[in-house]
Amino acid sequence: MKRRIFPTVISYTLLIIFCVVFVAPILIVFYNSFKSRFYISDSPFELPDAETFAGLENYFEGIQKIGFFSAFGWSLLITVLSVIAIVLFTSMTAWYIARSKSRFSSILYYAFIFSMIVPFQMVMFTLTKTANLLSLDNPLGLVFVYLGFGSGLSIFMFTGFIKSIPKEIEEAAMIDGCSPLQTFFKVVFPVLKPTSITVAILNAMWIWNDYLLPYLLIGSEYKTIPIAVQYLKGGYGSIDMGAMMAMLVLAIIPIILFYLFSQKYIIKGVVAGAVKG
Amino acid sequence: MAGISLKNISKVYSDGTVAVNDLSLEIENKEFIILVGPSGCGKSTTLRMIAGLEDISDGEMKIGERVVNNIAPKDRNIAMVFQSYALYPHMSVYKNMAFGLELRKVPKDEINRRVTEAAKILDIEHLLKRKPKALSGGQRQRVALGRAMVRSPDVFLLDEPLSNLDAKLRTAMRAEITKLHRRLETTFVYVTHDQTEAMTMADRIVVMKDGIVQQVDTPQNLYKHPVNKFVAGFIGSPAMNFVNCKSKIKGNNASVILADTEIPIENPELKEKLISIGESELVMGIRPEDLTVDMNYLKENPHSFIKACVEVAEPMGSETYLYADYFGARLVSRVYSETQFTVGEEVSLAVKNEKIHLFNRNTQLNILTL
Repeated sequence: MKRRIFPTVISYTLLIIFCVVFVAPILIVFYNSFKSRFYISDSPFELPDAETFAGLENYFEGIQKIGFFSAFGWSLLITVLSVIAIVLFTSMTAWYIARSKSRFSSILYYAFIFSMIVPFQMVMFTLTKTANLLSLDNPLGLVFVYLGFGSGLSIFMFTGFIKSIPKEIEEAAMIDGCSPLQTFFKVVFPVLKPTSITVAILNAMWIWNDYLLPYLLIGSEYKTIPIAVQYLKGGYGSIDMGAMMAMLVLAIIPIILFYLFSQKYIIKGVVAGAVKG
Repeated sequence: MAGISLKNISKVYSDGTVAVNDLSLEIENKEFIILVGPSGCGKSTTLRMIAGLEDISDGEMKIGERVVNNIAPKDRNIAMVFQSYALYPHMSVYKNMAFGLELRKVPKDEINRRVTEAAKILDIEHLLKRKPKALSGGQRQRVALGRAMVRSPDVFLLDEPLSNLDAKLRTAMRAEITKLHRRLETTFVYVTHDQTEAMTMADRIVVMKDGIVQQVDTPQNLYKHPVNKFVAGFIGSPAMNFVNCKSKIKGNNASVILADTEIPIENPELKEKLISIGESELVMGIRPEDLTVDMNYLKENPHSFIKACVEVAEPMGSETYLYADYFGARLVSRVYSETQFTVGEEVSLAVKNEKIHLFNRNTQLNILTL
């Protein structure tokens, strides 16, 4: 029995260490957001005490300084629209790819897979230039750009799942009287729910937190939260650390809530399609 | 309700594979017809062409008086039951059954009436609120049947609907489907690879092989008068025994010579045919129940027997399947379960002379059809 307990203790200890390492930065940001800004840089790891505790002062100041509600609105609009577009269009594309046996559909599939491995920095400047030319340098245009960037992984996930759905279900729908569009929206799309939620969560987290793409395309006119937070960095290296910590906390709250609300579907969606049930 | 007419129907895939070759078949209104054959024989493709799920490469198909070659599945007024049931997993049983009617804009009261009635017939009233995942295989099968029933289609298409069920349930559902056919009085086209299902349920059976129809007939006629060696071997369980032989004609007498014995042919029709053909290379076919250890028969027909070596005896309860080797050919005989056998012992198996089938060894055709 001793031999069995020992490895368990080791693995649990390692897991606890990893948990602490991963959670620590968020915790540090969280409790620093309640400290007066003068104490954050000096002793970032110390918990707030009677002297350093600043209450919600940092939050009020940050919200005022960066125009938080406007930034929150833009972030929310861009994220929601992009996620809806990604889920809707990539699921339809994946359905076509999974069901069509043509050479064109397999080329299309591999092109989407390839897009997953192209780093953003590689296409950054050409993309910005093209987006400017096509007048996509506005919040709605950004939704299209996100649709392009998000499609690789999403199509990969949807295609895997759709392949595991028996084709007979769609044929039964056709015989029952469905048109192709009705087949998709009344039969296929509801069956894709777990994968749709997974795709939505993964893309929402990425788009909500993204800094570079909105900065390059719409940063000068419309500020999303990551861009707005950046403006707390003043000239000559002066940073309002208190407000920044508070804004970072506010920025991650919605996405954490969204994740907690729908996390049970992530696992379901990731494993769905892996094995034929 | 309608009959189906298939005229010279072919299905050729883009890679050149011929799935169905020049199939012609007239299915009568209210008939229960079963397409049977081994995997890849084209039976499911034929059914899918009737459903409109596969394009027809060549030929003309009619449902009732209407040519349906280019008509979409939804406009053919057919209903199909799939092997995997193909129930909509996100809908309740009620919704699954009502879905087709809702799409056709049938009034709600009417939908409710039809679904309730079908559920009552199929004994699934208590399951109407459940999702398919909460049902057993047999219950899912009933829902799939119910979904087809509520539409009151002209034609019912069933693609191996029982193959996912266990043996006991399959037997029960077999009887249910036969009863349902009688009750609904609709044309049923049923696909299976299980010849027992075909024999027990069909008005007529279509035996297919390599995309070609081998024989279309009633179960009894198929069993008694198979047109070729394939049909003879496919229909019947255990399968018909085949032994290579040669015919011998002597005046008005005909006989077949097997490896170590000569069996005179007494069936007048067969004898006459043998004489008209002349001596030739043949295959003798005899059903397991016509190859017996019946001593009385042996006494009455002392020349109609073969001696074989016992390999295995499989007791089935009411009877025993006796497997024996006859010069490399494996023979199976149905015998009374009381009879005891020892492996390796030599047995005299009486060949019921009037039940002998003879096939041309090259063309595989029953010589009576030549």
